[in-house]
Amino acid sequence: MTGTPDEFDYDAALRACAAGERAALHRIYQLEGARLLAVALRIVRRRDVAEDVVHDAFVRIWEKAAGFDPTRGSGRGWIYSIVRHGALNHIRDHAREMPADETLIERVEQAGEASVPDPYEQVLLASESGQLYDCLGRLDAPKRSSILLAYLEGCTHSEIAERLATPLGTVKAWIRRGLQSLKECMA
Amino acid sequence: MSDPLPQDELAGLYVLGLLDTAQRAAVERNLEHDAGLRARVIYWEERLLPLTKMVEPEPLPPTLWARIESSLWPAPRSATARTPASLAERLWDSLALWRTLAATGFAAAMLLAVVGLPGAQKTAEPKFMVVLVAPEDKAPGWVVQASTTQSLKLIPLGVTEIPQAKALQFWTKGKDWKGPVSLGLVQPGRPLDVQLKELPPLEHNQLFEITLEPEYGSPIGKPTGPILYIGRAVKVM
Repeated sequence: MTGTPDEFDYDAALRACAAGERAALHRIYQLEGARLLAVALRIVRRRDVAEDVVHDAFVRIWEKAAGFDPTRGSGRGWIYSIVRHGALNHIRDHAREMPADETLIERVEQAGEASVPDPYEQVLLASESGQLYDCLGRLDAPKRSSILLAYLEGCTHSEIAERLATPLGTVKAWIRRGLQSLKECMA
Repeated sequence: MSDPLPQDELAGLYVLGLLDTAQRAAVERNLEHDAGLRARVIYWEERLLPLTKMVEPEPLPPTLWARIESSLWPAPRSATARTPASLAERLWDSLALWRTLAATGFAAAMLLAVVGLPGAQKTAEPKFMVVLVAPEDKAPGWVVQASTTQSLKLIPLGVTEIPQAKALQFWTKGKDWKGPVSLGLVQPGRPLDVQLKELPPLEHNQLFEITLEPEYGSPIGKPTGPILYIGRAVKVM
Protein backbone atom coordinates (compact mmCIF):
# COMPACT_ATOMS: atom_id res chain seq x y z
CA MET A 1 0.00 0.00 0.00
CA THR A 2 1.16 3.51 -0.60
CA GLY A 3 1.29 3.93 3.12
CA THR A 4 1.55 7.27 4.74
CA PRO A 5 5.09 7.81 5.91
CA ASP A 6 4.56 7.19 9.58
CA GLU A 7 7.22 9.68 10.47
CA PHE A 8 5.33 12.56 8.90
CA ASP A 9 4.16 14.90 11.62
CA TYR A 10 0.64 15.96 10.69
CA ASP A 11 0.21 18.06 13.79
CA ALA A 12 3.36 20.01 12.95
CA ALA A 13 2.21 20.40 9.35
CA LEU A 14 -1.08 21.85 10.55
CA ARG A 15 0.75 24.24 12.86
CA ALA A 16 2.82 25.32 9.88
CA CYS A 17 -0.38 25.87 7.87
CA ALA A 18 -1.70 28.00 10.69
CA ALA A 19 1.53 30.00 10.50
CA GLY A 20 0.93 30.60 6.81
CA GLU A 21 3.38 28.11 5.33
CA ARG A 22 1.84 27.09 2.05
CA ALA A 23 4.36 24.32 1.49
CA ALA A 24 2.98 22.50 4.52
CA LEU A 25 -0.49 22.30 3.00
CA HIS A 26 1.00 21.09 -0.26
CA ARG A 27 2.91 18.38 1.57
CA ILE A 28 -0.30 17.15 3.19
CA TYR A 29 -1.92 17.16 -0.24
CA GLN A 30 0.93 15.17 -1.74
CA LEU A 31 0.86 12.61 1.03
CA GLU A 32 -2.87 12.20 1.52
CA GLY A 33 -4.61 13.78 -1.47
CA ALA A 34 -4.92 10.58 -3.48
CA ARG A 35 -6.42 8.62 -0.63
CA LEU A 36 -8.65 11.49 0.44
CA LEU A 37 -9.96 11.69 -3.12
CA ALA A 38 -10.62 7.95 -3.06
CA VAL A 39 -12.41 8.16 0.29
CA ALA A 40 -14.61 10.98 -1.03
CA LEU A 41 -15.24 9.17 -4.31
CA ARG A 42 -16.43 6.01 -2.54
CA ILE A 43 -19.03 8.11 -0.77
CA VAL A 44 -20.19 10.55 -3.44
CA ARG A 45 -19.60 8.19 -6.41
CA ARG A 46 -18.93 11.00 -8.85
CA ARG A 47 -15.44 12.05 -9.74
CA ASP A 48 -16.20 15.75 -10.28
CA VAL A 49 -18.05 15.93 -6.97
CA ALA A 50 -15.27 14.05 -5.17
CA GLU A 51 -12.76 16.55 -6.53
CA ASP A 52 -14.94 19.41 -5.27
CA VAL A 53 -15.11 17.78 -1.85
CA VAL A 54 -11.31 17.50 -1.69
CA HIS A 55 -10.91 21.07 -2.95
CA ASP A 56 -13.29 22.43 -0.33
CA ALA A 57 -11.66 20.30 2.36
CA PHE A 58 -8.19 21.65 1.64
CA VAL A 59 -9.49 25.21 1.65
CA ARG A 60 -11.07 24.46 4.99
CA ILE A 61 -7.98 22.75 6.39
CA TRP A 62 -5.96 25.86 5.58
CA GLU A 63 -8.52 28.23 6.99
CA LYS A 64 -9.20 26.20 10.13
CA ALA A 65 -5.66 24.99 10.82
CA ALA A 66 -5.22 27.53 13.59
CA GLY A 67 -8.25 26.08 15.35
CA PHE A 68 -6.91 22.53 15.24
CA ASP A 69 -6.19 21.36 18.77
CA PRO A 70 -3.78 18.40 18.95
CA THR A 71 -4.92 17.56 22.46
CA ARG A 72 -8.30 16.65 21.00
CA GLY A 73 -7.15 14.15 18.41
CA SER A 74 -4.63 13.49 15.68
CA GLY A 75 -4.01 15.87 12.83
CA ARG A 76 -4.48 13.07 10.33
CA GLY A 77 -7.82 12.10 11.85
CA TRP A 78 -8.93 15.72 11.73
CA ILE A 79 -8.05 15.97 8.03
CA TYR A 80 -9.95 12.79 7.16
CA SER A 81 -12.96 13.84 9.18
CA ILE A 82 -13.18 17.08 7.19
CA VAL A 83 -13.18 15.19 3.91
CA ARG A 84 -15.59 12.48 5.06
CA HIS A 85 -18.09 14.93 6.49
CA GLY A 86 -17.79 17.08 3.37
CA ALA A 87 -18.66 14.04 1.26
CA LEU A 88 -21.44 12.92 3.61
CA ASN A 89 -22.97 16.38 3.63
CA HIS A 90 -23.02 16.37 -0.13
CA ILE A 91 -24.84 13.06 -0.47
CA ARG A 92 -27.33 13.90 2.26
CA ASP A 93 -28.17 17.11 0.37
CA HIS A 94 -28.28 15.46 -3.05
CA ALA A 95 -29.92 12.10 -3.38
CA ARG A 96 -27.42 9.79 -5.00
CA GLU A 97 -28.32 8.45 -8.40
CA MET A 98 -25.30 6.43 -9.28
CA PRO A 99 -25.57 2.70 -8.81
CA ALA A 100 -23.72 1.20 -5.93
CA ASP A 101 -20.26 -0.17 -6.43
CA GLU A 102 -20.74 -3.08 -8.84
CA THR A 103 -18.04 -5.24 -7.42
CA LEU A 104 -19.56 -4.88 -4.03
CA ILE A 105 -22.97 -5.91 -5.31
CA GLU A 106 -21.41 -8.94 -6.96
CA ARG A 107 -19.74 -9.85 -3.75
CA VAL A 108 -23.06 -9.51 -1.98
CA GLU A 109 -24.74 -11.69 -4.55
CA GLN A 110 -22.01 -14.28 -4.51
CA ALA A 111 -22.38 -14.64 -0.81
CA GLY A 112 -25.31 -16.85 -1.84
CA GLU A 113 -26.18 -19.47 0.72
CA ALA A 114 -25.25 -17.46 3.78
CA SER A 115 -28.34 -15.92 5.26
CA VAL A 116 -26.79 -12.46 5.15
CA PRO A 117 -24.23 -11.47 2.55
CA ASP A 118 -20.76 -10.51 3.70
CA PRO A 119 -19.46 -8.12 1.09
CA TYR A 120 -16.27 -7.33 2.90
CA GLU A 121 -15.05 -10.75 3.84
CA GLN A 122 -12.40 -11.05 1.15
CA VAL A 123 -11.32 -7.49 1.61
CA LEU A 124 -10.79 -8.02 5.29
CA LEU A 125 -8.93 -11.27 4.84
CA ALA A 126 -6.37 -9.52 2.68
CA SER A 127 -6.20 -6.35 4.64
CA GLU A 128 -4.27 -4.57 7.25
CA SER A 129 -3.17 -5.68 10.62
CA GLY A 130 -3.93 -3.64 13.67
CA GLN A 131 -6.30 -3.57 16.58
CA LEU A 132 -9.28 -2.26 14.66
CA TYR A 133 -8.96 -5.04 12.10
CA ASP A 134 -8.55 -7.69 14.76
CA CYS A 135 -11.66 -6.42 16.44
CA LEU A 136 -13.59 -6.19 13.18
CA GLY A 137 -12.56 -9.76 12.46
CA ARG A 138 -14.20 -10.81 15.70
CA LEU A 139 -17.49 -9.18 14.86
CA ASP A 140 -19.99 -11.35 13.08
CA ALA A 141 -20.29 -10.62 9.39
CA PRO A 142 -23.58 -8.69 9.39
CA LYS A 143 -22.41 -6.22 12.01
CA ARG A 144 -19.07 -5.80 10.33
CA SER A 145 -20.61 -5.25 6.90
CA SER A 146 -23.12 -2.75 8.24
CA ILE A 147 -20.40 -0.66 9.86
CA LEU A 148 -18.19 -0.79 6.78
CA LEU A 149 -21.01 0.09 4.40
CA ALA A 150 -21.74 3.15 6.50
CA TYR A 151 -18.17 4.30 7.01
CA LEU A 152 -16.74 3.57 3.60
CA GLU A 153 -19.72 3.93 1.26
CA GLY A 154 -21.68 6.56 3.15
CA CYS A 155 -24.76 4.30 3.17
CA THR A 156 -27.74 5.24 5.32
CA HIS A 157 -29.48 2.73 7.59
CA SER A 158 -32.08 2.06 4.90
CA GLU A 159 -29.50 1.65 2.17
CA ILE A 160 -27.65 -0.87 4.32
CA ALA A 161 -30.91 -2.68 5.01
CA GLU A 162 -31.51 -2.88 1.28
CA ARG A 163 -27.98 -3.96 0.44
CA LEU A 164 -28.02 -6.67 3.07
CA ALA A 165 -31.65 -7.62 2.39
CA THR A 166 -32.48 -7.23 6.05
CA PRO A 167 -35.16 -5.30 7.95
CA LEU A 168 -34.23 -1.77 8.97
CA GLY A 169 -34.67 -2.39 12.69
CA THR A 170 -32.29 -5.32 12.55
CA VAL A 171 -29.66 -3.25 10.79
CA LYS A 172 -29.94 -0.50 13.38
CA ALA A 173 -29.46 -3.06 16.14
CA TRP A 174 -26.46 -4.60 14.34
CA ILE A 175 -24.77 -1.26 14.10
CA ARG A 176 -25.49 -0.35 17.70
CA ARG A 177 -24.19 -3.67 18.97
CA GLY A 178 -21.32 -3.65 16.49
CA LEU A 179 -20.09 -0.30 17.77
CA GLN A 180 -20.48 -1.50 21.32
CA SER A 181 -18.45 -4.65 20.65
CA LEU A 182 -15.75 -2.71 18.85
CA LYS A 183 -15.46 -0.35 21.76
CA GLU A 184 -15.14 -3.20 24.24
CA CYS A 185 -12.63 -4.98 22.04
CA MET A 186 -10.49 -1.90 21.52
CA ALA A 187 -10.58 -0.81 25.14
CA MET B 1 -36.67 8.72 17.79
CA SER B 2 -38.10 7.77 21.13
CA ASP B 3 -35.38 7.96 23.76
CA PRO B 4 -32.33 10.13 23.37
CA LEU B 5 -29.33 8.07 22.34
CA PRO B 6 -26.49 7.51 24.78
CA GLN B 7 -23.74 9.99 23.99
CA ASP B 8 -21.24 7.38 22.90
CA GLU B 9 -23.69 5.82 20.49
CA LEU B 10 -24.66 9.21 19.14
CA ALA B 11 -20.98 10.00 18.54
CA GLY B 12 -20.37 6.64 16.84
CA LEU B 13 -23.38 7.07 14.56
CA TYR B 14 -22.29 10.62 13.77
CA VAL B 15 -18.85 9.43 12.69
CA LEU B 16 -20.38 6.64 10.61
CA GLY B 17 -22.63 9.22 8.94
CA LEU B 18 -25.80 7.50 10.13
CA LEU B 19 -27.61 10.32 11.90
CA ASP B 20 -30.55 11.99 10.24
CA THR B 21 -30.30 15.63 9.26
CA ALA B 22 -31.69 17.03 12.49
CA GLN B 23 -29.58 14.80 14.72
CA ARG B 24 -26.49 15.56 12.71
CA ALA B 25 -27.07 19.30 12.93
CA ALA B 26 -27.61 18.99 16.68
CA VAL B 27 -24.36 17.09 17.15
CA GLU B 28 -22.47 19.66 15.10
CA ARG B 29 -23.93 22.47 17.18
CA ASN B 30 -23.17 20.74 20.45
CA LEU B 31 -19.63 19.79 19.50
CA GLU B 32 -18.63 23.41 19.96
CA HIS B 33 -19.38 23.51 23.65
CA ASP B 34 -19.82 19.92 24.82
CA ALA B 35 -16.36 18.58 25.61
CA GLY B 36 -17.73 15.15 26.53
CA LEU B 37 -19.44 14.70 23.20
CA ARG B 38 -16.40 16.03 21.39
CA ALA B 39 -14.20 13.47 23.13
CA ARG B 40 -16.54 10.65 22.07
CA VAL B 41 -16.61 11.87 18.47
CA ILE B 42 -12.82 12.08 18.36
CA TYR B 43 -12.62 8.63 19.93
CA TRP B 44 -14.60 7.17 17.04
CA GLU B 45 -12.91 9.28 14.38
CA GLU B 46 -9.53 8.01 15.57
CA ARG B 47 -10.54 4.39 16.08
CA LEU B 48 -12.21 4.04 12.70
CA LEU B 49 -9.58 6.00 10.76
CA PRO B 50 -7.58 2.85 9.82
CA LEU B 51 -10.59 1.81 7.70
CA THR B 52 -9.54 4.40 5.15
CA LYS B 53 -6.64 2.06 4.33
CA MET B 54 -9.17 -0.23 2.69
CA VAL B 55 -9.69 2.37 -0.02
CA GLU B 56 -7.17 2.33 -2.85
CA PRO B 57 -5.84 5.84 -3.56
CA GLU B 58 -7.16 7.51 -6.71
CA PRO B 59 -4.79 9.33 -9.04
CA LEU B 60 -5.04 13.04 -8.45
CA PRO B 61 -5.97 15.14 -11.46
CA PRO B 62 -3.13 17.56 -12.15
CA THR B 63 -5.49 20.54 -12.01
CA LEU B 64 -6.80 19.93 -8.51
CA TRP B 65 -3.91 21.37 -6.55
CA ALA B 66 -3.85 24.42 -8.84
CA ARG B 67 -7.55 24.90 -8.10
CA ILE B 68 -6.97 24.71 -4.36
CA GLU B 69 -4.08 27.13 -4.61
CA SER B 70 -5.99 29.68 -6.61
CA SER B 71 -8.96 29.48 -4.23
CA LEU B 72 -6.68 30.18 -1.30
CA TRP B 73 -4.16 32.49 -2.84
CA PRO B 74 -5.50 34.25 -5.92
CA ALA B 75 -2.62 35.41 -8.09
CA PRO B 76 -1.88 39.09 -7.63
CA ARG B 77 -2.88 41.09 -10.67
CA SER B 78 -0.10 42.68 -12.63
CA ALA B 79 0.62 46.20 -11.54
CA THR B 80 -1.07 48.54 -13.94
CA ALA B 81 -2.25 52.07 -13.52
CA ARG B 82 -4.91 52.14 -10.84
CA THR B 83 -8.30 53.38 -11.74
CA PRO B 84 -11.32 53.20 -9.50
CA ALA B 85 -12.47 49.61 -9.57
CA SER B 86 -15.28 49.07 -11.99
CA LEU B 87 -17.99 46.56 -11.37
CA ALA B 88 -16.24 44.24 -13.78
CA GLU B 89 -12.94 44.57 -11.95
CA ARG B 90 -14.50 44.01 -8.59
CA LEU B 91 -16.18 40.90 -9.92
CA TRP B 92 -12.89 39.78 -11.31
CA ASP B 93 -11.22 40.17 -7.96
CA SER B 94 -13.80 38.45 -5.91
CA LEU B 95 -14.98 35.67 -8.10
CA ALA B 96 -13.21 32.55 -6.99
CA LEU B 97 -15.37 30.50 -9.26
CA TRP B 98 -14.42 32.35 -12.39
CA ARG B 99 -11.03 30.81 -12.28
CA THR B 100 -12.59 27.57 -13.22
CA LEU B 101 -14.45 28.93 -16.18
CA ALA B 102 -13.23 28.00 -19.59
CA ALA B 103 -12.01 30.77 -21.84
CA THR B 104 -15.41 31.12 -23.45
CA GLY B 105 -16.93 31.33 -20.02
CA PHE B 106 -14.65 34.16 -19.09
CA ALA B 107 -15.48 36.01 -22.24
CA ALA B 108 -19.20 35.61 -21.80
CA ALA B 109 -19.13 36.49 -18.15
CA MET B 110 -16.94 39.54 -18.60
CA LEU B 111 -19.13 40.73 -21.39
CA LEU B 112 -22.12 40.37 -19.13
CA ALA B 113 -20.48 42.25 -16.34
CA VAL B 114 -19.50 45.11 -18.60
CA VAL B 115 -22.39 45.37 -21.00
CA GLY B 116 -25.21 44.14 -18.85
CA LEU B 117 -27.79 41.61 -19.72
CA PRO B 118 -30.79 41.74 -21.92
CA GLY B 119 -33.70 41.69 -19.51
CA ALA B 120 -31.56 42.61 -16.54
CA GLN B 121 -32.40 45.64 -14.46
CA LYS B 122 -30.28 48.52 -15.63
CA THR B 123 -31.26 50.91 -12.90
CA ALA B 124 -29.88 49.20 -9.84
CA GLU B 125 -26.44 47.72 -9.79
CA PRO B 126 -26.66 44.13 -8.65
CA LYS B 127 -25.72 43.37 -5.07
CA PHE B 128 -24.97 39.76 -5.87
CA MET B 129 -24.16 37.90 -9.02
CA VAL B 130 -23.95 34.22 -9.71
CA VAL B 131 -22.73 32.59 -12.87
CA LEU B 132 -24.22 29.13 -13.10
CA VAL B 133 -21.93 26.82 -15.03
CA ALA B 134 -22.20 23.21 -16.16
CA PRO B 135 -20.24 21.04 -13.71
CA GLU B 136 -18.52 19.06 -16.46
CA ASP B 137 -17.19 21.66 -18.88
CA LYS B 138 -17.79 24.84 -16.85
CA ALA B 139 -19.77 26.34 -19.70
CA PRO B 140 -21.95 29.14 -18.29
CA GLY B 141 -25.66 28.58 -18.81
CA TRP B 142 -27.46 31.05 -16.55
CA VAL B 143 -26.72 34.15 -14.56
CA VAL B 144 -28.41 35.22 -11.35
CA GLN B 145 -28.59 38.91 -10.54
CA ALA B 146 -29.87 40.21 -7.24
CA SER B 147 -30.37 43.91 -6.65
CA THR B 148 -31.70 43.35 -3.15
CA THR B 149 -31.01 40.55 -0.71
CA GLN B 150 -34.63 39.39 -0.93
CA SER B 151 -35.20 39.08 -4.65
CA LEU B 152 -33.32 37.84 -7.62
CA LYS B 153 -33.59 37.32 -11.32
CA LEU B 154 -32.44 34.19 -13.11
CA ILE B 155 -31.39 34.97 -16.66
CA PRO B 156 -30.71 32.36 -19.34
CA LEU B 157 -27.63 32.62 -21.52
CA GLY B 158 -29.02 30.09 -23.97
CA VAL B 159 -31.70 27.46 -24.24
CA THR B 160 -31.12 24.37 -22.13
CA GLU B 161 -32.35 21.24 -23.89
CA ILE B 162 -34.28 18.96 -21.61
CA PRO B 163 -35.75 15.49 -22.15
CA GLN B 164 -39.51 14.87 -22.39
CA ALA B 165 -41.37 14.82 -19.09
CA LYS B 166 -38.50 16.45 -17.27
CA ALA B 167 -38.17 19.91 -15.81
CA LEU B 168 -35.46 22.26 -14.63
CA GLN B 169 -35.61 23.10 -10.95
CA PHE B 170 -33.79 26.00 -9.35
CA TRP B 171 -32.31 25.58 -5.84
CA THR B 172 -30.30 27.52 -3.34
CA LYS B 173 -28.46 26.67 -0.16
CA GLY B 174 -26.87 29.06 2.32
CA LYS B 175 -23.86 28.19 4.40
CA ASP B 176 -25.58 26.80 7.47
CA TRP B 177 -28.75 25.52 5.89
CA LYS B 178 -29.63 21.88 6.29
CA GLY B 179 -30.20 21.36 2.60
CA PRO B 180 -31.05 23.10 -0.63
CA VAL B 181 -34.37 24.93 -0.87
CA SER B 182 -36.35 24.96 -4.10
CA LEU B 183 -36.81 28.32 -5.79
CA GLY B 184 -39.19 26.80 -8.30
CA LEU B 185 -39.28 25.30 -11.75
CA VAL B 186 -37.53 27.07 -14.59
CA GLN B 187 -38.54 27.22 -18.24
CA PRO B 188 -35.59 26.63 -20.55
CA GLY B 189 -34.47 29.90 -22.13
CA ARG B 190 -36.86 32.03 -20.04
CA PRO B 191 -35.91 34.45 -17.27
CA LEU B 192 -37.43 33.95 -13.83
CA ASP B 193 -38.03 36.47 -11.06
CA VAL B 194 -37.81 35.02 -7.59
CA GLN B 195 -38.84 36.61 -4.30
CA LEU B 196 -36.99 35.17 -1.32
CA LYS B 197 -39.69 36.11 1.19
CA GLU B 198 -39.43 33.11 3.43
CA LEU B 199 -35.68 32.70 3.15
CA PRO B 200 -32.80 34.39 4.94
CA PRO B 201 -31.24 37.28 3.00
CA LEU B 202 -28.80 36.39 0.29
CA GLU B 203 -25.27 35.93 1.46
CA HIS B 204 -21.86 35.79 -0.12
CA ASN B 205 -20.95 32.34 -1.39
CA GLN B 206 -24.55 31.10 -1.22
CA LEU B 207 -24.93 28.09 -3.49
CA PHE B 208 -27.28 28.07 -6.47
CA GLU B 209 -27.96 25.19 -8.76
CA ILE B 210 -30.30 23.94 -11.43
CA THR B 211 -31.06 20.23 -11.50
CA LEU B 212 -32.98 18.01 -13.88
CA GLU B 213 -36.12 16.78 -12.15
CA PRO B 214 -39.40 15.05 -12.95
CA GLU B 215 -41.93 17.09 -14.91
CA TYR B 216 -43.60 18.59 -11.83
CA GLY B 217 -40.44 19.04 -9.82
CA SER B 218 -38.66 16.90 -7.26
CA PRO B 219 -41.19 14.84 -5.29
CA ILE B 220 -39.10 14.91 -2.13
CA GLY B 221 -38.30 18.59 -1.82
CA LYS B 222 -34.59 18.16 -2.44
CA PRO B 223 -32.65 17.60 -5.64
CA THR B 224 -32.93 14.08 -7.04
CA GLY B 225 -31.55 14.57 -10.54
CA PRO B 226 -28.17 15.55 -11.92
CA ILE B 227 -26.85 19.07 -11.43
CA LEU B 228 -26.94 20.85 -14.78
CA TYR B 229 -25.67 24.23 -13.61
CA ILE B 230 -24.07 25.35 -10.40
CA GLY B 231 -22.46 28.49 -8.99
CA ARG B 232 -21.98 30.58 -5.88
CA ALA B 233 -23.13 34.08 -5.12
CA VAL B 234 -20.56 36.80 -5.17
CA LYS B 235 -21.20 40.11 -3.47
CA VAL B 236 -20.49 42.95 -5.80
CA MET B 237 -21.36 46.01 -3.79
